[in-house]
Amino acid sequence: MKLGGAYGLRTLARGALRPPGNDSAFLLDVHRRAVPTERMARYDDHYPVDLVIVGAGAGGATLAQRLARRGWKVVVLEVGPFWDPDEDWVSDEAGSHDLYWTDQRVVGGKDPVELGKNNSGRGVGGSMVHYAGYCPRFHPSDFETRSRDGVGQDWPIAYGELKRHYELLELELPVAGDYWPWGDPHRYPHTAHPVAGGAELAWAGALELGIEMRVGPVGITNGSFGNRPHCIYRGFCLQGCKVNAKASPLVTHVPDAIAHGVEIRTDCMVTRVEVDDSSGAVTGVRYISGGSERLQRADAVAVAGYSIETPRLLLNSTSRRFPQGLGNSSDQVGRCVMVQGAPQVAGRFPEEVRMYKAPPPEISSEQFYETDPARGFARGFSIQTVGPLPIGWAEHVMADGHWGQALREYARDYNHWYTLGALSELLSLTDNRVTLASGVNDQNGIPVARMDYSQCENDRKNIAFAKRTLREILEAAGAQDILTIDRYAHLVGGCRMGTDPEHSVVGPDHRVWGIPNLLIADGSVMPTQGSANPAITIMALASRLADKLERKLLDGRAGGRRLSARRREASRDENRGRASGVRPRSSPTPGGGESALRRDHTSAGRRSHAAGQLPDDQVG
Amino acid sequence: MARDLRDAAHLPNLREGRQPAPPEELPRQRNGVTPQMHGRYPDYNVLDEVGHWDDATRRAVLQRVENVPPVRFFTDAEARTLGCFCDVVLAQDSEPKIPVLNMVDAKLFAGKLDGFRYDDMPDDRETWRLVARGLDAAARQHRAQEFASTSWEVQRQVVDAFSKGQLQGEVWDDLNPKRAWSVLMRAVLSAFYSHPWAWNEIGFGGPAYPRGYARFGIGQRESWEGAPAFERDPVQDVQQRGLQ
Repeated sequence: MKLGGAYGLRTLARGALRPPGNDSAFLLDVHRRAVPTERMARYDDHYPVDLVIVGAGAGGATLAQRLARRGWKVVVLEVGPFWDPDEDWVSDEAGSHDLYWTDQRVVGGKDPVELGKNNSGRGVGGSMVHYAGYCPRFHPSDFETRSRDGVGQDWPIAYGELKRHYELLELELPVAGDYWPWGDPHRYPHTAHPVAGGAELAWAGALELGIEMRVGPVGITNGSFGNRPHCIYRGFCLQGCKVNAKASPLVTHVPDAIAHGVEIRTDCMVTRVEVDDSSGAVTGVRYISGGSERLQRADAVAVAGYSIETPRLLLNSTSRRFPQGLGNSSDQVGRCVMVQGAPQVAGRFPEEVRMYKAPPPEISSEQFYETDPARGFARGFSIQTVGPLPIGWAEHVMADGHWGQALREYARDYNHWYTLGALSELLSLTDNRVTLASGVNDQNGIPVARMDYSQCENDRKNIAFAKRTLREILEAAGAQDILTIDRYAHLVGGCRMGTDPEHSVVGPDHRVWGIPNLLIADGSVMPTQGSANPAITIMALASRLADKLERKLLDGRAGGRRLSARRREASRDENRGRASGVRPRSSPTPGGGESALRRDHTSAGRRSHAAGQLPDDQVG
Repeated sequence: MARDLRDAAHLPNLREGRQPAPPEELPRQRNGVTPQMHGRYPDYNVLDEVGHWDDATRRAVLQRVENVPPVRFFTDAEARTLGCFCDVVLAQDSEPKIPVLNMVDAKLFAGKLDGFRYDDMPDDRETWRLVARGLDAAARQHRAQEFASTSWEVQRQVVDAFSKGQLQGEVWDDLNPKRAWSVLMRAVLSAFYSHPWAWNEIGFGGPAYPRGYARFGIGQRESWEGAPAFERDPVQDVQQRGLQ
């Protein structure tokens, strides 16, 4: 038997091997689930740390961990608590209310999006605490939908720039699944989990129609991994994993971040990013903690509050120099916010399948992911499994128009049903937007976010086709009755990454146009969303961003603030022979730098942004 | 005439009028409680398993059974109307009932909302109060004094119109009935199907930490999960209800 390089060895060794550059799984306690925080660093508000990150979710926690390893002094401000899974989480749907962002928000548009438990997290680990666990990569086509299919936007970066980071994160989470034949074909470090009876039925139905399914990919350990145990298939992935088997930044990146000097400061609501109006650089963030307002100074700020709270924070951070809010001089903040169409179709089978067992994410297909002109719409959808628990099941039944005795009867039939879900790629539209809700303030007197959402014709066709396909699969599997619910899933966009400040909020290096030391490090920068669950892509973007930052100066202060001596040493140790973290200001590259310069009129901020551009070939 | 659960003929979509057979044909619960004491797993009581649950989960679930909160948010009149609405919409027509209104009231009283509000709707708390007035107004259109005191048949007609977004007049001219329906039903379903009595009725295995699930093949169940039954066993039923 030939071992295929590192992958082959890893397949044999599985959880015994450490992923490179991340010891999180080995830093957890064997006997309790909570992350050990006894030795966590504490920084004084007045001490200007190298970077303050707003939000400890997929983007913020990953960025903090990466930069801490490179010697940066980082404080992460998180509005929610530092979860203790043993005490705070329950195997119960209604008891998991506190995992979600439940502060006020207003939704509008022709097809308003339900927020809260559907897509919004709170607390260390962010929404990944309650995501199902699917971790598919984006396809290479997702980065160029405008060029290929004439819809959406092209990203300013290509799949190749994220590939190495996907591979790293798949080792860190770790991801379990079959060999993946779609997009850029690849394999996973942990082998596929067993699947439950319902998934076997659905798979057989799919094969009847010539639709290929594969197991996974899920960020759930299959075998022990460091001090994280094996999954026990209890089915409550969406209520927070009490086992520590499912990956979220809380267990995958926060322990290592803390070990390298990051302070995660919880129960802190950031209300505005502070700007020096004379230089146009940010100086820190203002936040509310324990009822009083405080100011954390920092050389740079990374906002990682996700697609609703990040635009809200930028729009609320007005000043004399930025009367429309930060990064909003071209009226782009909040635009092109996206959700995926996520209809669920359930089928009734003669045998009991008890879909509450096993993780909800079991098998999936990306056979319909790419554009097929024969379908009559651009882009596509993926097929996945979902395992609604009793409340979720009752909502599914009600969506089919049942209440009273009919509702109770379908609920009593719960154990005979299995549910498939689609993720339809809905297109990025400029009028789908996060703004401030006029006259509605939160408990701190800060204006809340409003999200307007309307579908376009392509979106409706995509969702309808996906629903029909799910139904056909279940019928081919022998379903005796079908119930359907229309819903949305996930959030991305709102602070789009692009190549020019007229049509985007950040450049390819995540810097807000016009502000040299303000970064956005979450899913809001994504120009399109594919039909893939966004978590691992948000992490991969943050991982790539850390690589970029390592290679250049943050020159926010007048004259450019150099890296501290301590960071320089750490950086040198870390890199041992590789290019050091300290580089002279590099000159603009012929490509990206030039285009940024072309649009650079007077602002010093834009000039220094352009100067910060680095050749992309240093990544990957 | 024994019916087989492999057959789906009992499901509303496959029956005329999209209504199921009367639940009185179902087995009586023999172990533990189900709402109205009928269900499909007569010998299965999820509360027999509490010793296998972790402490935090046990506290959260038992709280629902042992500590029914008093009504503090709604006025007496609102509670009468909305309590009746909860009964109709969940077909809770006899004791034992899951105290859905009390559970909803506690959530609203504590201000635990769902994290979003439609731009054409008031705060969820206000929506509940408006619906109470709206249901009474709709009942008056049927020449009843108020929703709670009218006949089961009229109540069902009003709720049916509400579920289809067809209520009109008075409150309903300013309140979008479709959206109001979804606001109320989210809370109602969450309360009812978070209660272990409802889990008994539907045969849900319930919390399974730390022991987990091990048998998830087609037609399989854990040793402690309940076996389904469809028909009432006449001998046991007579004994159970003391009809001898």
